[in-house]
Amino acid sequence: MSRFLIRRILLGLLTLLLVSVVVFAATQALPGNAARAILGRDATPARLQALTEQLHLNRSVFSQYFSWLGGVLHGDFGNSAATQAPVSHLISSRILNTAFLVLVSAIIAIPLSIGLGVLMAVRRDKPTDHIISITTLALAALPEFVIGIGLVLLFATNVWHVLPAVSIIPPGEHAWNVPKVVVLPAATLIIAVTPYISRIMRASMVEVLESDYVTMARLKGLPNRTVIWRHAVPNAIVPAIQVSALQLAYMAGGVVLVEVVFNFPGIGSALVDAVGNRDIPEVQALAIIIAAVYVVVNLIADVLTILVTPRLRTAAAR
Amino acid sequence: MTDHEYPNEEARDRLTRRQVLHGALAGGAMLSAGGLLAACGGGSSSGGGGGGGGTAKSSPPSTGTLKSGGSLKVGATGGGAKDTIDAHLPTADTDIMRCWNLYEPLAVRPPSFGPVEMMVAESIEAEHGKADSWVVKIRPGIEFHNGKTVTADDVIFSLQRILDPKNPKVGAASIGYIDIKKVKKISDSQVRIPLKFANAGFLDDLGQYFNAIVPTDYDPKNPVGTGAFQYVSFTPGQQSVFKKFPNYWQKGRPYADQLTIIDFTDDTARVNALLGGQVDAIDNLPTGQIAQVQGNSQLKVLISHTGQWQPFTMRVDQAPFSDVRVRQAMRLIVDRPQMVEQVLSGQGRIANDMYSPFDPGYPTNLPQRHQDLEQAKSLLKAAGHSGLTVQLTTAPVFQGVVQAAQVFAQQATGAGVNVKLQKLDTGTFYGPNYLKWTFAQDFWATRMYLPQVAQGSLPNSPFNETHWADPKFQKLIQQARAELDETKRNQIISEAMTIEYNTGGYIIPYFSNQIDAYSAKLGGFVEAKSGFPLGNYWFKNVGFTA
Repeated sequence: MSRFLIRRILLGLLTLLLVSVVVFAATQALPGNAARAILGRDATPARLQALTEQLHLNRSVFSQYFSWLGGVLHGDFGNSAATQAPVSHLISSRILNTAFLVLVSAIIAIPLSIGLGVLMAVRRDKPTDHIISITTLALAALPEFVIGIGLVLLFATNVWHVLPAVSIIPPGEHAWNVPKVVVLPAATLIIAVTPYISRIMRASMVEVLESDYVTMARLKGLPNRTVIWRHAVPNAIVPAIQVSALQLAYMAGGVVLVEVVFNFPGIGSALVDAVGNRDIPEVQALAIIIAAVYVVVNLIADVLTILVTPRLRTAAAR
Repeated sequence: MTDHEYPNEEARDRLTRRQVLHGALAGGAMLSAGGLLAACGGGSSSGGGGGGGGTAKSSPPSTGTLKSGGSLKVGATGGGAKDTIDAHLPTADTDIMRCWNLYEPLAVRPPSFGPVEMMVAESIEAEHGKADSWVVKIRPGIEFHNGKTVTADDVIFSLQRILDPKNPKVGAASIGYIDIKKVKKISDSQVRIPLKFANAGFLDDLGQYFNAIVPTDYDPKNPVGTGAFQYVSFTPGQQSVFKKFPNYWQKGRPYADQLTIIDFTDDTARVNALLGGQVDAIDNLPTGQIAQVQGNSQLKVLISHTGQWQPFTMRVDQAPFSDVRVRQAMRLIVDRPQMVEQVLSGQGRIANDMYSPFDPGYPTNLPQRHQDLEQAKSLLKAAGHSGLTVQLTTAPVFQGVVQAAQVFAQQATGAGVNVKLQKLDTGTFYGPNYLKWTFAQDFWATRMYLPQVAQGSLPNSPFNETHWADPKFQKLIQQARAELDETKRNQIISEAMTIEYNTGGYIIPYFSNQIDAYSAKLGGFVEAKSGFPLGNYWFKNVGFTA
């Protein structure tokens, strides 16, 4: 197992390096540079020159990349071109906010979806299954921002006025200090993510419930609850783990649309803003972090899969 | 559906009645749910669509006195990591909002666009009756937020900072003709400012929000100014917080104890924040929401009739627009009332291809242009360009700009002109090719004539999109600048404007309205002809009603 882990971690680091190169190249390829983006319409030649020199944008592309990489290896992510403050200033609170939002959403969404999936599978083809199935399908078809706006209309502005319509977090504080503003964004993410996990869980459960060992367990006289939760679910859960990992990484990538609808200060809008500003240190830092989340989350999912599947546990040791 | 439900394959593949009913029910439920939610609450049954129409007016302001105290929260458009709180570098709406409240220039035009009002200065006079040297007298006793009194040294430092050749600021282009080396301190409270050439429009150029007066030890990380609110905190891309400056020079102002400016990149989120009560006022209310906000008894709409203009720009030094007949033809293509209806939802008034409508020299004797496709076609034929094809470069640089391009392209077909649209994003539009596009658009705030000409109609202007360089015009401007007598100056300005009316490179179809919204608990907002939202962002005059 540990050899497996080490190999995966090394591959993960290689992935991050490749991501940094690709993202850097892509951002450089965009027309304009940070100085132009900051000055916008007021980019008179004199001001443009002054700002370009100030931001060291007239160095060669390779020089810029390697000086950035050197800084990262020392733990210094550089200064943002837009604010001229260290990159960590701007993104640390955003990362914490997004992390909190994703954590809250995941803690509710994953158990909920698995439960729904099991429920649908157990009550297969009965009204319960149909209703939940169609509802989840309809919700999966709706884009997240439609769900978000629907929730705002329902709970904040038109029908009831019990929750804030936008997520305004006072300076110096974080999302967990003002939990009320997290409710609707989290609900949007939960509703966006649940259909996929629950439907995959259902499909997988349906297959497992038809298998021989489940029939055997029933014939042995085990109570239904035991059959389902001790015998069926552990075997059915592997696809759900994989999908959950993907959904988690998708949420952590900063769901820009949800952040835009709720004005939530997370890393999605920070990344979009940074690209618009051609703020390369910022873009690099955020891209690396999001890629790292993907790598870590997939690694955890694979480890869980191994733990849940005895066959693979012994296979990995070989 | 699983296999055991159907007797055979054919039956399974046919759509059963049950399936159809299920589907219709689900579909109908979803559609009506959406409609119900949108129509619920808010009061107005028009569902928020349709716009306000030309007769929409600002909600009547609150009567009654404004009480002291309270915390004002304002939602501002845009913003991001490049937000700045530097007095001389405001670019985005959010920066400008901060500038108007934290700092002050020597003088400024009020929201009514009446005569320039003194702010940090007590008086700014032309020396010896000539417009090439001016004396500024500082308001006695006016203090910065840190308690220091404003002196001549601070004024000189601010001017030098703006014009610093190694790091020119936003205002460098507008006051670049100050002879900075000869600026002299006459006394602790007086400064002489000589100019490189006479300019009667100096007051307007000097009195801009981006030419604020800051102390000699100014540090943008801990900003200090003379404005009604002083700095508490600033988080780029999110919000900035200010508190009341107790020693503000205008007694009784500001009303509010605290001011928080919150960035909103998305229109819907900003409007929702107002509807949900998280903010007390917002700028740039989308026209489609006017009806809904006006129908809400807890909210009010502020509509300002401004002089802001979004022209089509034709380069007079490039074919086909180098032929004045082609330019005149293009101007005759526009159906101005239709543009106002379709692009602005009626929130604007038609213009006559001339800018600076509030300048006293704006000619009143010139006929209003209407659409005349026949004349346009004959002009194009005389110029040898019948059936012309042109590319129009457009970008969402301001509300309505891309839509105006689309409407223009459609109107042009009536004159046999084929307009191909090249839609860019804002960044690319203002990139290296900005000011080089042959046929494009742009946006301008409200200005008096001489300052606007300095910015966009002279060969050395920073933003001369049309590359307009008419020698007779330039001579008139030079004369106007040197003329301190208002009546004579207005006559010269009218002559210059008439030249542009006849042969210029701009198509100016309309002046757009500025639409904002605020909570009914607030009072003190006034319409601003300048086009700066929420009454020139002068939150010092805004308070909660008693």
